[in-house]
Amino acid sequence: MLANYEVSQAEKKFIGWHLLFAVIAVAIGSLFGPLQALEHAGLDLYPYLQPLFASYYQGLTLHGVLNALVFTTFFITGFLTLTTIYGLKRPLRYPKLNAVGFWMMVVGLVVTAIPTLLDQASVLYTFYPPMKAHWSFYLGLTLVVVGSWIEGWGFYFTYYAWRKENPGVRTPLTTFGGLITMVMWQFATLGVATEILTMLLPWSLGLIEGTDPQLARTYFWFTGHPLVYFWLLPAYVSWYGMLPKQAGGKLFSDSLARFAFWLFLLLSVPLGFHHQYVDPGVPAGWKFLHAVLTYSVFLPSMLTAFTVIASLEYAGRKRGGKGLLGWIRALPWADPVVSAQLLAGILFFFGGIGGITNASYNVNLVVHNTAWVPGHFHLTVASAVTLSFMGISYWLVPYLTGKKLGVSNKVANIQVWTWFVGMVIFSNAMHVVGLLGAPRRTPLGLAPYIPEEWSGHLLRVGIGGTIMFVGMYMYVYIVAKTAWAKNYEPVEIEVPLADSIHDPQETPDWLDKWVPWLIGTVALLLIAYGPQLFDQISNIALNAPGGKVW
Amino acid sequence: MKEQKNSETDEFEPKGTMVILLIFVLTLILLWGSVYLILLSRGVTV
Repeated sequence: MLANYEVSQAEKKFIGWHLLFAVIAVAIGSLFGPLQALEHAGLDLYPYLQPLFASYYQGLTLHGVLNALVFTTFFITGFLTLTTIYGLKRPLRYPKLNAVGFWMMVVGLVVTAIPTLLDQASVLYTFYPPMKAHWSFYLGLTLVVVGSWIEGWGFYFTYYAWRKENPGVRTPLTTFGGLITMVMWQFATLGVATEILTMLLPWSLGLIEGTDPQLARTYFWFTGHPLVYFWLLPAYVSWYGMLPKQAGGKLFSDSLARFAFWLFLLLSVPLGFHHQYVDPGVPAGWKFLHAVLTYSVFLPSMLTAFTVIASLEYAGRKRGGKGLLGWIRALPWADPVVSAQLLAGILFFFGGIGGITNASYNVNLVVHNTAWVPGHFHLTVASAVTLSFMGISYWLVPYLTGKKLGVSNKVANIQVWTWFVGMVIFSNAMHVVGLLGAPRRTPLGLAPYIPEEWSGHLLRVGIGGTIMFVGMYMYVYIVAKTAWAKNYEPVEIEVPLADSIHDPQETPDWLDKWVPWLIGTVALLLIAYGPQLFDQISNIALNAPGGKVW
Repeated sequence: MKEQKNSETDEFEPKGTMVILLIFVLTLILLWGSVYLILLSRGVTV
C-alpha cells in the first residue's frame, strides 16, 4: 500500500463536477424556500412570478426535488468518490464506469427538471399517486437513482481490488462508512425503483390504466425513510472520520464507529411503515413492528452521539479546555469547517428528539401531516446534512481547486451562523404551529381557517426562511468565488483523515466482515416487509386513474 | 490511522460527553412527554 496517495487532477475534476451540479441544484431549489415561508407569513409572491412559476405546489416540488434529492445525491456521490480513493490510496478500479454513472445522473436531472419547470410534474418530492406527473419526471428520477447505483458499483469494484491487495488490513474508516452508505442506498432504493418501473412509469405512459396508491406508498416509504440515512451517513463519515482531526483531536473509538455503521445498514431500511401509521391498508401489528424497529435506530444514533462528542471532548481538552463542559469553548469555533459541523450537531440534537416523537405510534397522531413534519426534516436534511456539507465544502472546494477559500474564515463563519439562526427560528415555528394543528403541504396564506394563535408562528416561519435564504446564497457565493477565482492564493490542503486513539487494526475482525451483516440485513428486510409486500402485491388494485390536481 | 498511545489518552474519560447525553435524554423525555400530554388533552378513544 502506498504511504500516501496523490489524487490526480482528473480525479479532482471528476469529484468537482459532482459538486458543481450539487451546488447548482441547491441554488435553484433554495429560491423557492423563502417563497413558501413568506407565503405562510401572508406574503404570497407566486402571483408575481407567473407565468414562469405557476403555483405554490410547483415551487414546493422544485424545492423538494432539487434540494432533498438532487443536491444530496450529487454531493454524496462526489464526496464518497474521494473517501473511497483517498482512503484506499488507489484510483477507481473502473473510472469509466463511475463516469457513466455520473453522466446518467446528469441526464436524469435534466429529464426530471424539464417537466417540473414546465409545471407538468408538480407532485411534490414524494410523488404520491394518484397525482400523475409527466412520464419523463419518473424516467428522470430513475436515471438519477440508477446512475448513483452505478457509481456505487464502481466503489465496490475498487474496494474489491484493494482488498485483494491488502488482506487482513482494516478498511479505512471513511471508506468503510462510504461503502455502507452505498450498500444501504442500493437496498433502500429497490422500493422506489419497483414503484416507478412497475406502476408509475407504465401508468404515466398510458400502458396501464390505473395505479394502486396504497402499494405505491408502501414502495415509496421502503425507500423514503432510509433516504434520510443516505443523507446522514456521509455527514457521519465526516463527523467520525474527519471532524476529530479538524477539531484538533482523535477519534475516540474506531470500533464503536464501525459498529454504529453496521447497525445503520441493518436497521435503516425495515421501518418504513412508521410513515404509514394512518394508512388503512397496513395492519396494526406491522405498524407496531416497524415502530419497534424505528426505536432500535436510537441505539446507533446514540453510539454516534457518544463517540463523536467524546472525540470532540478529547480535542477540546487537548486544546486546554477545563471543567465538565469548558472544553466546548476551547474547540476551534473560528474555523467554519468545524463550526458548521458543530452547529449541525446541535440542531440535530432536536431533530433526533422530534424523530422519536414521529416514530411513536400514538403520539404520531398529534403531528402527522402537520407543519411539525417539515419542521423536523429541516433539522435533519437541511441542518445535520446540509450544514455539514457546507462545512465540508469549505475545505473540499479549496482541496479540489488548489485555491484558498474565496472569503475569510470570519465571513464563512457568518454564513454558517446565518443558516443556523434562520433554521432555529424557522424549525421552531414550524414545530409549534404544527402542534397547533397547521397542516403541511398547504399554502396557509390562502387558507380561510387560520386561527389567530397561528399568525405569530407563521410570521416566524417567514422570517426564518428568509434568513436561511440569505445563508444559502452566501454559501453559493463563497463556493463560486473560490472555484472561479482568477487571482487566487494557491493552497495545498490535506484531506483531514482523523487518527483513532486506538489502532484500527485492534478493531475486532467481525466489524470488518461484510457477509454476516449483509445476510442479516436481507433477513431482517424479508421479515419486516416480506409478508406485507406479498399480501399487498397479491391484492393489487390498479384502479386509481390519477390525474393532474394542480 | 496510526496507533497513538500515551498516558493522556489512556486516562481520558469523557465525563463531559456523559453530561451532554444525560441532558439530551432529559430533554427528550420532557419534549416527548409534552407532546404526549397534548395527545391526552385532545381526548382518548378506545
